Amino acid sequence: MNAFIVAVILGLATGSIYALAAMGLVLTYKTSGIFNFAQGAVAAAAAYLFYTLRQSDGIPWPIAALISVALIGVVGGLLLERMGYALREAPVASKVVATVGLLVGIPALLAAWYGSSSRPFDHFLPSHPVHLFVNVGTDQIIIFLLASASAVGLSLFFRRARLGIGMQAVVDDPDLLSLQARNPIVVRRWAWTIGTSFAAVSGILIAPTIGLDAPILTLLVVQAFGAAAIGSFTSIPRTYVGGLIVGVTTALSQLYLASHSGFQGVPPSMPFIILFVVLLVTPKRLLLEKGTRLARRLDFAPALNKRISVPTTLVGLGLLIALPQFVGFRLPLYMTGLLFVILFASLGLLVRTSGQVSLCHLAFAAVGASSFAHFESFGIPWPLAVLLAGLVTVPIGAILAIPAIRLPGIYLAIATFGFGILMQRFVFTNRVMFGSTDSLTAPRPHLGSFHLGTDTGYYYVILGITVACCVVVVLVQRSRLGRLLRALGDSPVALDAHGTNTNFVRLLVFAISAGLAGIAGALSGPVTGFTDGLTFDYSISLLLLAVLALSGRRALASAFIAGGLLQVVPGYITNATVSAYVPAFFGVAAVAVAVVPGIGFAKRFLVARRVRERRGASPVAERRALVRPEVVVAGAPLSGTGRAGGRNGDNRVAERVEMARLGAHQ
Amino acid sequence: MLELLDINAGYEGSTVLRNVTLYVPDRSVVALLGPNGAGKTTTLRVASGLLDPAQGRIVLDGVDMTRWPPFARAERGMCLIPEGRGVFAALSVRDNLRLQSEPGSESDSIDRATQTFPRLGQRLNQVAGTLSGGEQQMLALARAYLANAKVVLLDEVSMGLAPVIVDEIFEFIDRLRSTGVSLLIVEQYVQRALDIADYVYVLNRGAINFVGEPQEIEGEAILESYLG
Ligand SMILES: Nc1ncnc2c1ncn2[C@@H]1O[C@H](COP(=O)(O)OP(=O)(O)OP(=O)(O)O)[C@@H](O)[C@H]1O
Ligand SMILES: [Mg+2]
Repeated sequence: MNAFIVAVILGLATGSIYALAAMGLVLTYKTSGIFNFAQGAVAAAAAYLFYTLRQSDGIPWPIAALISVALIGVVGGLLLERMGYALREAPVASKVVATVGLLVGIPALLAAWYGSSSRPFDHFLPSHPVHLFVNVGTDQIIIFLLASASAVGLSLFFRRARLGIGMQAVVDDPDLLSLQARNPIVVRRWAWTIGTSFAAVSGILIAPTIGLDAPILTLLVVQAFGAAAIGSFTSIPRTYVGGLIVGVTTALSQLYLASHSGFQGVPPSMPFIILFVVLLVTPKRLLLEKGTRLARRLDFAPALNKRISVPTTLVGLGLLIALPQFVGFRLPLYMTGLLFVILFASLGLLVRTSGQVSLCHLAFAAVGASSFAHFESFGIPWPLAVLLAGLVTVPIGAILAIPAIRLPGIYLAIATFGFGILMQRFVFTNRVMFGSTDSLTAPRPHLGSFHLGTDTGYYYVILGITVACCVVVVLVQRSRLGRLLRALGDSPVALDAHGTNTNFVRLLVFAISAGLAGIAGALSGPVTGFTDGLTFDYSISLLLLAVLALSGRRALASAFIAGGLLQVVPGYITNATVSAYVPAFFGVAAVAVAVVPGIGFAKRFLVARRVRERRGASPVAERRALVRPEVVVAGAPLSGTGRAGGRNGDNRVAERVEMARLGAHQ
Repeated sequence: MLELLDINAGYEGSTVLRNVTLYVPDRSVVALLGPNGAGKTTTLRVASGLLDPAQGRIVLDGVDMTRWPPFARAERGMCLIPEGRGVFAALSVRDNLRLQSEPGSESDSIDRATQTFPRLGQRLNQVAGTLSGGEQQMLALARAYLANAKVVLLDEVSMGLAPVIVDEIFEFIDRLRSTGVSLLIVEQYVQRALDIADYVYVLNRGAINFVGEPQEIEGEAILESYLG
């Protein structure tokens, strides 16, 4: 009983921290339509700054906390507001890429500056126990009260204060708000500042319990997503309660399940189980997407001229075939590079072509890798084992099609994010996946006298399969399914209205994409000879999306560019400092790529299209003008141009205008 | 008085308004008429600050507000009720009214709005997006009343509404003018607009080609061409 109460109290304290982060998240999402995947990264940044000020520079903790929250919360919030503003008309995929870019980039930067080993983080709140039934830490009480007070304050603010109501209005129609004498920029700035400060506070509060470790801090605050889901991403009070629920269930599962073999994976993945399940069961009408009113559609790269595409493809293929002659011992880099080409091509099918964001692509690859190793150990012939590994992954993709069918844009991205972490925490750690030692052998193929087992031999095997997968992707793009997918990315509603079964289309694209990723996973093991869960960390799925965003809009070209960027280029960097910054670079560059089209290229593209449409319409206006009688001003026919009042038009109009003005003075 | 002086304006790459000059004298009603696509909405957007003109000035009561953002103009008495439904669909009627009112006078404003439009009073807690089209338009129009504006710009506020509701809306416009604000109205019901207007401007293809009093225009070919 005592243990139960202690666990509940612990859960309430950590849950309060999740609640703080989640309320900030909901606030900014409601106001800007940007779901900040990087909320946890912001929290980590604040914790690092606080650590530096307090433990390195010796500044007293209240002042250090104030500076950290002000710098990260306020300055960061204002920067994020700019980012959100630049993305206000962007499609969901770009919004996700931007904040995922931050989620990748910020912890990577922190790790590059501070080193990746974890450091102890001193407690700063008074922690002497107070006796309330059981002993409760003063710090736990303080945290609980802080979160409760914030929840009450924020709820009242939202319901009563004009600024709070304005925050809920600004996302849908900033112009209308401006017409109502409210400055939309000020409203947004407040929201981002408050929301980001909440994240900063949560980071500082949670750091003492786990130490200074950027990925873990980031992930801990990501647990706030479950709380936000309980609040349907809109309700502050329910989000607060959601935070407590997540905290308490996690603590209780730690108490009761952690000792049972087979369930060790449950407690750490509890928040993500909650996130995924809540997203699956919440009625659709409660999950309204914010900020889509202004969203423009995905734009696609125009098809390349055959005279360019055919020679480029042939030269590229020739280079790839000749490659083993030039690259020497770096050949394995190119092997994984080609595998990532398959991953990127299949991810592009989801994200680029159909506008559905998947943040768990590596989970598919992991399933493929593990199944392949198992099939091999059963003595199934090598090529068949690869194929079967792809097929086994298909149903996993189909499972993800369920949220894709239920949930609009951003919520699908959140669900896949939760699913990816869940797979890693819960399934990968299971013996079924990678065995009890978390490692399975994955042999290369044998084929008589051909030396497929050598690096060069296996490189050609991978190249052959990559080309086959690319052909599949191209065929899908060119088929009716491809057109349906593009229509899906453009306007799902219109597609539905056409009588097309969009559910089936979504199912199919997830299945194909997952199958291809499964094959890439299967091929990855034999590069090194063994396969393990660590290779398929969820964070690589995020990196995949970020790098794909960097690599242009073309289905296949972007896959090759991305594969090269992510796998091959870093292999050539020998300077350790530079390598440390590579992931940070990918993250930051993805943010830039997502944000810049909103202000530069895509906008110009969009406007050009509008102008063209209007020009197309003008002949009708021309004809109408011909049919119409001459326009008449006060009885006298006008000159044929109908441009009276212009500089060289009929000055009677000018006279009339003047009369009207004089009339006003009487 | 609101003055639009020699305005050129358009959207990236194309000019819509050409040398438009238009006055809305104090305590008067000005009707701005013209065929579809003439640039009426564009004119009101320029006046309210939603669109920056390429040339020309916008002056309200002697204050040049050409470069002011919409919220600053609204603070100084400019009130545009935009085309379509000018409400926040996701907010309750009460919250919409709160946003419309001047700071500090929220509850008083809600009372005034519900006196003017009793239908809204019964629906204060309803989400605005679920109101009928007519009710939404009343909610949008309430702002013209609550904002204590000097000049109110109405863009086709009767569009797509049943005749009874249109009557109600024109009654409201009448009441509004009796409070002393000046009005610039864009209306599809030309005759009704002429009935209440002191001055009429006709806009065609982005240029003003008639200015005068309503009786001058009646029976003229121009009206026909407009209605045609
Ligand atoms: N956002 C925009 N981008 C580009 N062109 C626009 C935009 N809005 C309007 N236009 C163009 O400007 C011209 C004038 O449009 P406007 O909406 O001002 O006409 P209007 O007189 O209000 O017409 P209606 O009676 O149909 O409301 C039209 O040719 C229209 O296509
Ligand atoms: Mg219009």
